[in-house]
Amino acid sequence: MMTVYGLFMVSGLAVGSLYALGGIGLVILRRSTGFLNFSYGAIAAFSAMTAWQISQWGAPVPVAWIGAVLTGFVLSVTFGYALAPRLSHREPAIKAVATLGYLLILLGLMGLLWDHSLRRLDLPTDRIAVMVLGVRVTVTRLIVLGLAISAVIAMIVYLDRTRTGLNMRALADNRGHAALLGVPILRVETIAWGISGAMAGLTGVFFGSLVRLDPTVITFMVIPALAAAICGRLTSLPMTLIGGLFIGVVESMLALFPTLSAYRTMAPYIIAGLIILWMQRGNKLTFATGD
Amino acid sequence: MNLRMTTAAMTCGLLAFATAAKADSGGPVCGLNTGEAATGEPIRVGGISGNAPPGDFSGGTRAAAAYFACVNANGGIHGRPIAYSVGNDQWNPELAGQIASRLVEDEGVVALVGNGSVVEMAVNAELYAEHGVMAMASGCAISECFESANIVSTNQGPLPSGIGALRFAIEELGAEHAACIGFNIPNNGGWACDWMNRYMEQHGLRGTSILMDPTSVDLNGTYLQALASGADTILLMLPAGPAIGLLGVAEEQAGRDMFNWVSPTPLYEPGVTEVLGDYWDGHIYINIELNQFDSDGADNRNWIAVMDAHGRDGDRRDTFSQAGYLSARFFVEALLELDPESIDRASVTDAIRGIVGAESDLLCGPFYVGDGDRHMPNHRGRMVVLRGDAFELVRNCFDIDTAYLEPILEQERRLGLRD
Repeated sequence: MMTVYGLFMVSGLAVGSLYALGGIGLVILRRSTGFLNFSYGAIAAFSAMTAWQISQWGAPVPVAWIGAVLTGFVLSVTFGYALAPRLSHREPAIKAVATLGYLLILLGLMGLLWDHSLRRLDLPTDRIAVMVLGVRVTVTRLIVLGLAISAVIAMIVYLDRTRTGLNMRALADNRGHAALLGVPILRVETIAWGISGAMAGLTGVFFGSLVRLDPTVITFMVIPALAAAICGRLTSLPMTLIGGLFIGVVESMLALFPTLSAYRTMAPYIIAGLIILWMQRGNKLTFATGD
Repeated sequence: MNLRMTTAAMTCGLLAFATAAKADSGGPVCGLNTGEAATGEPIRVGGISGNAPPGDFSGGTRAAAAYFACVNANGGIHGRPIAYSVGNDQWNPELAGQIASRLVEDEGVVALVGNGSVVEMAVNAELYAEHGVMAMASGCAISECFESANIVSTNQGPLPSGIGALRFAIEELGAEHAACIGFNIPNNGGWACDWMNRYMEQHGLRGTSILMDPTSVDLNGTYLQALASGADTILLMLPAGPAIGLLGVAEEQAGRDMFNWVSPTPLYEPGVTEVLGDYWDGHIYINIELNQFDSDGADNRNWIAVMDAHGRDGDRRDTFSQAGYLSARFFVEALLELDPESIDRASVTDAIRGIVGAESDLLCGPFYVGDGDRHMPNHRGRMVVLRGDAFELVRNCFDIDTAYLEPILEQERRLGLRD
């Protein structure tokens, strides 16, 4: 029985690391700009489709990866530079709705550019694997987990040790005060959008390879990613990582119980809901910012 | 055989002969095939299909549109062209209902042809019955589509196609315990997998349903569920996209040889061989509801000729497209039996219900409608295996034997199509 649990746990960690990676990208942006970016999944999907398109043109895999990261960067910065500053003084809900609009634009654009044909995004790392508790874990999945952990460490160091990181933290604390202190708001926010977009690009490529290359499916992976981010209270990167992995493992383990297995996709939302309730216990407004 | 059936059979025979002769010459054959454009008062016909993420079921309405365009360029219905109006339900039940109301109540269409959707039939079956209008569908995937008096489809849907695949797995691959992996949708995956399990039990074997949420990301968990169930056969009761995702997980887990892999028609789609690659060569068996896309049959060649001549760039050339062509062809043949001046909804509904014994090399048996409270005329299948960059026929037309078909077979006996 332990072997079966091990199988599902390892499988869950693999999916959870994808949720965590998405959640980390959301938290980085939320901390620096106050935006809860619902278009994160659409940016990831657009990037993954771009990577597929580049590979169809015969370009080597690294070029496709770079193309995906650049696409994510450009799409994210486009919104962050052109529209986000005009909404900077609006309520968090309005900012979030604006990103929902961007999601719909990107989804429509993908529908125009790519039809519903079947596609597959293969990575060279899909073919190399190690056995962990009886599950064959590909190097691609290990990279995702490693990337999620590395992103958390790198961002903590970046935010703590660099001038831009300090500026980002200042913006997160109070945008108005940061502006009075001379923080170059537009530049710092654009960097945050760029980092988040590049992460979305990478997430999209991995998601397209490990789950399936379907713009809609990748677009709506933002929802479980958001659940992971909520586990980190939209601010804590390590808790987002742990939350994503936890959600993935719970979702996977529910497959062991026949009566619950058909409903296991509810796991991210139930876990996020319970965590919101837990966080509300002191009556503190969970998503309130200093604005 | 009464006079009406004799006349219908003779018309079908003549049209089939003309189809074969013209298809040999490369051009499409449609309706009266006069080469003269129809200029009379249009006959209004509707169609509803779903085309939005996550799937495109527009192949049926697009093929019907191409066939009707061909008919209109070839004499129409004794001089009257068909005005075909199509709506996209975008998988939205509210929108599906609005489109059907517009077509049936406002525009007064005489029938609907080529419908393909996973929501439209469940929403509109009652409306069609209430208004006495028939829907000759071509892309049915839910129970309501096969269990309604006013909807008849040229495609099989997941239930017979899946059971056909299971029958092959039992007889040729030695399947003893099949895991049916489908979507957790009561009138789709739940309905079909439930009948798969009954079929296995009927043969003294074991069936297990593994139902997943359509939005599920954790395909690895679904695969592991199948592994933990102890099944020796996996029946992929899924649309092509998720099925390919699951096969990707199985490939990642080196699971190809741990199961027999069978699937109903959705995996038989252009591009599947390329997407799946060499790993699955010779290991995936698929039940196909209509003849192979590259078959030499006259009607199949005519479908291609119609799409080439009257289709649009980007029109899908899949099973739904073949089925849409067939629905449109049978519909036109039924209309040609009528006095063109007295064509209205009631006479068209009667004409459609009067279709008996229509033939095509795309099908494995005669097509019929009749006045039953349910319709599933296409319930014989073929099996193909993925081989290299193509699909190879491994079993030609065979019966699908399930208790679900008992009322259907009884209808066929009443219509004189079965002893």
